[in-house]
Amino acid sequence: MSRGFDGFGSAYFDGDRPVGEEVSLHLANHNLQIGLDDGNTLFWPVKDIRLLPDLAGKKGYVLRLTTDPLARLYLTDRSLMTFLPTPRGKIPARGRRRLLAWAVAAVAAVALQIAVLVPLLADRLAAFIPPSGERALGAATLDQIRRVLDDTGLDPLSYCENPAGVAALTRMTNALNQGKDRLENLSVHVLDHPMANGFALPGGYVVLFRGLIDQAESPDQIAAVLAHEMGHVWTRDPTRHALRSAGSIGVLGLVFGDFAGGAAVLFLTERLISARYSQQAETDADTFGYTRLGAANVSPAVMGDMFDLLRDTAGDTNQLLAHFLSHPTLSQRIDAARAAVDASRSYTPILDDTSWAALQKICD
Amino acid sequence: MSVDFVGRRGALFWLALKTGFFTIITLGFYRFWMKTRLRRWYWSAIRPGGHPMEYVGEPLEKLLGFFIAVVILTFYIGIVNLLLMFLSFAVFSTASVGYLASFAGVVPLWFYARYRARRYVLSRTRWRGVRFGLEKAAWGYTWRAVAHWCVTLISLGALWPRMTFYLEKYVTDRTYFGSARLHQDGHWSMLYRAAIPLIIALLLLAGSMVWMLWYDPVFGPEGLSLSGIAHDILTDGTVVYPLARPERLLLVPIALAGILYGAIHYRFVSKRLMAGHKSAEGITLASRLSGPRVAFIYTFGSFIAYSVLVVGVGALAIAGLAVFGPSALVFLDLGIEEASLDIPQSVAVALLVMFYLAIFLLWNVLYNTFVTFPLMRHLARTTSLPKRYGLRYVSQRARDEFAEAEGFAEALDVGAAI
Repeated sequence: MSRGFDGFGSAYFDGDRPVGEEVSLHLANHNLQIGLDDGNTLFWPVKDIRLLPDLAGKKGYVLRLTTDPLARLYLTDRSLMTFLPTPRGKIPARGRRRLLAWAVAAVAAVALQIAVLVPLLADRLAAFIPPSGERALGAATLDQIRRVLDDTGLDPLSYCENPAGVAALTRMTNALNQGKDRLENLSVHVLDHPMANGFALPGGYVVLFRGLIDQAESPDQIAAVLAHEMGHVWTRDPTRHALRSAGSIGVLGLVFGDFAGGAAVLFLTERLISARYSQQAETDADTFGYTRLGAANVSPAVMGDMFDLLRDTAGDTNQLLAHFLSHPTLSQRIDAARAAVDASRSYTPILDDTSWAALQKICD
Repeated sequence: MSVDFVGRRGALFWLALKTGFFTIITLGFYRFWMKTRLRRWYWSAIRPGGHPMEYVGEPLEKLLGFFIAVVILTFYIGIVNLLLMFLSFAVFSTASVGYLASFAGVVPLWFYARYRARRYVLSRTRWRGVRFGLEKAAWGYTWRAVAHWCVTLISLGALWPRMTFYLEKYVTDRTYFGSARLHQDGHWSMLYRAAIPLIIALLLLAGSMVWMLWYDPVFGPEGLSLSGIAHDILTDGTVVYPLARPERLLLVPIALAGILYGAIHYRFVSKRLMAGHKSAEGITLASRLSGPRVAFIYTFGSFIAYSVLVVGVGALAIAGLAVFGPSALVFLDLGIEEASLDIPQSVAVALLVMFYLAIFLLWNVLYNTFVTFPLMRHLARTTSLPKRYGLRYVSQRARDEFAEAEGFAEALDVGAAI
């Protein structure tokens, strides 16, 4: 049985010349017969005919054959559509394997870079940064952290600068920072933020959050954190870390698309603050801290007390910190701190009661 | 031969909304499909001589191109940036030199990506079954673009039309429709005509600045100082400005609006002027597009899109409040570690991300509906082919295999075509 269709306004394009040929259209034996002007007739099996997807408008539509990537049939008679079994069927795609290869390569390249190349390069390069450059890197990183941590989004997070408190902090810092290995350029700041944490930045910046001072039970516990962070300054761990993130921010922004650039900065700032140095680096900083605490006549055991306190109080407020603190090696570090106590000595608090009270009010 | 534009705004809106929704729930990966489907729709709406254009680009090749670009660009951004930042801190003790060098390094890449994106789009565009094409000449374009920008900056913008003309000529002269090669005629100085509104607006701004700040100061002889205002507010609560005929200050927003209009006018009317001088053997192009009409589409369309976005975001926020109660408000506050939510933190973060993406989606959909659609329609309907007998001598050109697609443009957000 044969069926004819209205070919008026329809055109066949052979895929070589941009000139339409008028057609007559018939359907017979599961073939669309396309009669051309020159007397030739094309046979398109209906099961292989596809409608071009996402066509705009109702006026006219375009058909193609799965086996011919170029030829097109422009039609105006929509009644033909009902005789096509799979007008929206699949057209075999090519190059899936190559796509997979590049996808794997892309993921591997990003991972290799973030996990291996950037840290390796940053660690090597950090040794060549002069003190003034290190200082500038620290100042830039501190500015960035202050901006990100601010909730209002207007001003950077403010420093706590109550004069009496600053004087007490300076006294504590000086007590810890003396002797032949004195750290040059050390500057200690308190930021007005409730997080119970402290961190070190390149160029001798050590930052304590207000939350840490609020939760500490004695000035010695603050001194313990300060001494530990000074250990990081001594080994220049923060310089290596800051250089790494300078390289990585761009990479993450690229992968997550342009709109997530802000999120990438946020993520990396979080990483800088809760900087996870290698286990060896932490142990070294602890050891440095015991020495300094001992030299200031403070019991190294306070460092263990501080870890204990952080583990108890921070556990339910900050998941990241909680995860960090529940790390099994933390118990070892607490034990190590208590083992560093010299039983034959009599230790004294690092600050008298007046200065400790002043330090607790540094953010007022 | 005239160009028709079929297709309704409502259909486009639903297509954009549907594909945008898929983009959100796939965390952005569907955007290659979204882009492809929107282009197919737009292309098939444009019908020179009644026959639709066809876009044959594939989503998967775009995804592949994106992966290729990621592999190459991560190297640049990760390793090269790290070296630049190191040198910047080690030698200059500041971050700004590093940022500047990093930016300067991306600029050529941006031009490169723009040419490659155009080549990709043209190679995937067909009309009456015949492919368009662009020669492989991206590096030539890149160094010319950089050189033209330098000349333009040195001349303080006076030679901008020269840059517009020569860069467009470079691309047009390498564009093919089947076997027919396009040719750009004319002279760059003809584009100054398109810049007239912009020049007038700039002169108006400069003139009014001179008038109000120097010749006959609007702020009085002692000038305006912030400390003066603060003093006034603190002492008696009122501000006494020593202004001389302050209504003249209205000239500034008028001039700025004029500059905006002038910029849009220049961009599109220069295209019209150059279109009139584009030709192939036996084929000519002509355009009657109207600068005021395009400017109207941009401003009015953006305004509608923005208004609807504001209403939509408000509705989303109210819906969020209704579903989650007042605790939904803390999504807006990123200090999640302090807030005590009655839903798990991971769910809250996921919802926050969804909300964030939904706003981008909505803007994209509305922009397509109220700006891109009328703009494409206007551009199509004002274009025509006065001479077309050369079409019968055109034959098919070979397929341009193009593994990287528009990956660089996608990664660098070049914003080529649509």
